[in-house]
Amino acid sequence: MMSEDMQKESGRSGAFIVSAQKRKMQKLAKTGGESVLLLIASFVAIVVLFIFYFVAVDAVPYFQLRGFREFFTSSNWYPAGEPGEFGALAIIYGSGMVTLGSTLLSVPMGIAAAICLSDILPFSVRQYAKPVIEMLAAIPSVAFGFFALVIFAPLLQTHGGPILMWAWWVLAAPFLLLAVIVVSDLLTAKIEDQNRRQQISLVLLAVFALGALAFLYWVGSVLQGMEIITGTNALNVSIILSFMSLPTIVSVSEDALQAVGRDMREGSYALGATRAETIVKTVLPAASSGILAAVILGVMRALGETMVVWMASGNSSHIPEPWFNYLEAIRTLTATIAGDMGEADQVTGSARYHVLFAMGLLLLVISFFSNLVSERIVVRQRKILSGQ
Amino acid sequence: MNLGTRKILDRSFTAVGFGSIAVMGIALLIVLVPIITNGVGSVFFTGTIEHRKMLFNEFGRGNTEELAKENAASEEYRKQIYGMLSAFEAELETMETEKKQDYLSKYGPVKTALQTLIGPLPGEPEAILTRYKYGQTRWGKAEEKLHEFLYETKWDYSNPDAMSKEYFVSRATEFEGTSLVKLFPFVEEHLEDVLRPEFTVYWGFLTDSSVDSHIFGGIWPEIQGTFFLAVGAMLFAFPLGVIAAVYFTEYAREGFFNSILRSANSTLAGVPSIVFGLFGLAFFINTLKVSESKSVLAGSLTLAIMILPTIIRAAEEAILSVPKTYKEASLSLGSTKWNTIMTVILPAALPGIITGGVISLGRAAGETAPIIFTAAVSVGSAIGLADVFSSPTPALSWNIYNLASEHEAAAEIRHVQYGMVLSLVSIVLLLNLSAILLRARISKKLKG
Repeated sequence: MMSEDMQKESGRSGAFIVSAQKRKMQKLAKTGGESVLLLIASFVAIVVLFIFYFVAVDAVPYFQLRGFREFFTSSNWYPAGEPGEFGALAIIYGSGMVTLGSTLLSVPMGIAAAICLSDILPFSVRQYAKPVIEMLAAIPSVAFGFFALVIFAPLLQTHGGPILMWAWWVLAAPFLLLAVIVVSDLLTAKIEDQNRRQQISLVLLAVFALGALAFLYWVGSVLQGMEIITGTNALNVSIILSFMSLPTIVSVSEDALQAVGRDMREGSYALGATRAETIVKTVLPAASSGILAAVILGVMRALGETMVVWMASGNSSHIPEPWFNYLEAIRTLTATIAGDMGEADQVTGSARYHVLFAMGLLLLVISFFSNLVSERIVVRQRKILSGQ
Repeated sequence: MNLGTRKILDRSFTAVGFGSIAVMGIALLIVLVPIITNGVGSVFFTGTIEHRKMLFNEFGRGNTEELAKENAASEEYRKQIYGMLSAFEAELETMETEKKQDYLSKYGPVKTALQTLIGPLPGEPEAILTRYKYGQTRWGKAEEKLHEFLYETKWDYSNPDAMSKEYFVSRATEFEGTSLVKLFPFVEEHLEDVLRPEFTVYWGFLTDSSVDSHIFGGIWPEIQGTFFLAVGAMLFAFPLGVIAAVYFTEYAREGFFNSILRSANSTLAGVPSIVFGLFGLAFFINTLKVSESKSVLAGSLTLAIMILPTIIRAAEEAILSVPKTYKEASLSLGSTKWNTIMTVILPAALPGIITGGVISLGRAAGETAPIIFTAAVSVGSAIGLADVFSSPTPALSWNIYNLASEHEAAAEIRHVQYGMVLSLVSIVLLLNLSAILLRARISKKLKG
C-alpha cells in the first residue's frame, strides 16, 4: 500500500519537479545549443581570420620573389613586361590622392549636414531628409561609376573651365563675404566710440569686400581658362567618391552629435550663446572623437571603393605633374586589382598574380587598423559622455 | 564681437547646414534624373522598320502580313537608292583609272555609312555578325548615322598648342559632277520613308536575351543572374546572421572573447569590397574548389560574407528594440529561454530583421567588385537553376561596367547601358523603399 502511494506521489509530482535524469538532459541540450550558437556567432571572427590568412598567403610569395623595395619606392608599373616591373608607388599615390580629395569635399559637407540634421531641422523635415541620405547610400557603386564615366567625364572635358568657375563662385563667395564681415568687426572691436566704430567698420568692410571680389574674380578667371585634357581624372573621381562617402560620415557623426546630451546645449544657451556658438564651442568639442570616427569610416569608404575609380579615373599609373594636379588621370590600388586580375589569373603563381594580393593585403591592413582606431574612439566617447 | 555679426554668423551657420543637405539632394537628382530619363528610353523609343524586322527574325515576334506590307513600302524607296548606287558604279567603269581610284576610295566609306544606316545593300555577301544584318533600329540613332552619312568627320591639327578640333565636310561636294550627288539629298529627304519610324514600347528589353552581345535584344540574362546571386547570398547570410544576432543579444556575456567577436564584426564590415573578391577567388575557388572556375555559388558565398555584418547589426537592433516586458512576461509564465526567443522575441523582432535583410539584399544585388573574380562573365545566356553550382552568370552590375568601358561598340549601345543602370537602380531603390516603409510601420506599431 505504502509503496504504491509513494509511487503515485512521485508519479504525480513528476509533472512539476523534473527528474534528475531529465534535468541533466536539459542542461546538456542547453549547453549544446549554446555552444552551437557560439560557434555560429564566432563564424564572423573565423571569416575575418580566413580573409587575412588567404590574402596574405597569396601576397607573401610576391615579396619573396621581388622584395619590398620595388613595390613601395618605384613608380614603374609594367606587370606584363619581360621581366615585369611592379613599382606601385604611383598607384598608392593615386589612391591617396582621390581619398584626400574626396575627404576634403565630403568632411565639411558631411559634418554640416549632420549638425543640420541633429540640431537645426525640425523633426518633421528631418523625416524627409533622412531617406535622401539613405538613397544616396543605397545607389550601387557601379551606377555612380557609370554616371562618372558617361555623363560627368564628357561634361568636365567640354565645359570643365566654366563648371570649375561656377563651383568656385558658389562655394567661395559666401564664405569670403562672411570672413570679410567678421574680420572688419574684429578689427574695430577695440574702438570705444560707437559712431566712429561703425564708420570705420563700414569703410573696412567696403575695402575688404572689394579685395575679396577681386580675388574671387581672379581665381574664377584662372579656373575658367583651364583646359581639361581628359574628363576621366582625379577630380571627377574625388567628387563622385565624396558623395558616396557622405552618407557614412553624416549618419555616424549625427549619432555622435545626438549622444551629446541636452543639458550641455541648454547650459550653453543659458550663458547667452547663439546656436552656432553653442554647436561650435560646446557640442562639436564634446562630439569630436565620434566625428573623428565618422571621418575615418568615410575615408575608408573612399579608399576601398572600386568601381567608380576603375571606370572614371583614367587608369594611368603615374604621379601627376605637378603633384597636386587633380586634372590628370591617375590609377588606384582597387582599380589595379580589379583591372589586372583578368590577365593575371592566367598566370597563377607568378609575381604578376601575387602582386595584386599584396595590394589587397595593403588595403586590408589599412582598413583593419582604421577600423580598430575608430571603434576605440567611439567606445571611449561613449564612456566619457556617460560620465564614467 | 558685435551682436549683429554674431547673428549673421549664426544665420550663415544654419544656411551652411541647409546648403549641404540641399547639395546632397541635388546630387541625388543630378545622378538619378539622367539615368531615369535615358533608361526609360531603352523600353520606350521610336523604333524603325529594322527593329521590327529584327524582332521578327530573331525572336519570331510581329505580324507577318503587316511587316510584309511595310517592307514593300520601304522597298519602293530603297530600290531608288540602290538604283543610284548601281548607276554610279556603272559610271565609275567609264572613268579613267586614276579618277576611278580616287572616287572608289571615297565611295567605300559612303557605302559603309549607308549600310549602317539602312541595312545590308543588295549584292553584298551576307554578314556573319547579327549587328551587320540590320540597319539602325532606333530613330534617334538613325538621325546620328544620317549625319555621319552626309558629312565626313575630319580633325583640324593646325594649331599645335590647342587640342585638335572636329569639323565636317559634306560628302555631296566630294562627288560633285557625278551621278552620286543626287543620292545624298534623296536619303536625307526620304529616310523616314525608308526606315518608317514609329513609337515603340519594347518590354522585351527586360525579358529577352541579348543578341550579338547586346547590340540587339534585352537584358534578361543579367537580371536573372543578379537575382540568383543576391538571393543565393541571402540564403547563406540571413540564417547565419540572425542566429549570430540572437547569440550576441541574448547569450553573450561581456568579456574579452565577446569584444573580440564584436571587433571582428566591425572589421568585416570595413573590408574593401575588392578584397572580398580576392578572398573569394583564393578561398572558394582556388582552395575549397566549390566549382571549377567562376560560378554563381562562389559569387553568392562571397557576397554572403560581405553582407553578413549588416544583417547581424540590423537583427541585433531589431531584437534589442523588442520591449523587455514581452520577454519577462514569457519567462514568468514558465517558458524556457529558448522557447521565449523562438515564440516571443523573434516574432516580435521579425519585421525589423526583415527590413535589415531587404536592405542587405539590395546591397548584394548592387555590388560588383566581389563578383568580378568569382561569378561574373560578360557575355552569356541565362543559366538554368541547376547550373548555379558550376557555371558563371552575367549580372547587371558587372555588365554595366563591361558594356560601358570594355564593349567594342560602347558608344553605340548607350541605351542598353542606361536601361541596365535604371533596372539595377530601381531594383535596389525599390528594395530600400520597401524597407523604409516597413520600418516606419514598425515604429508606429511599437509606439502603439
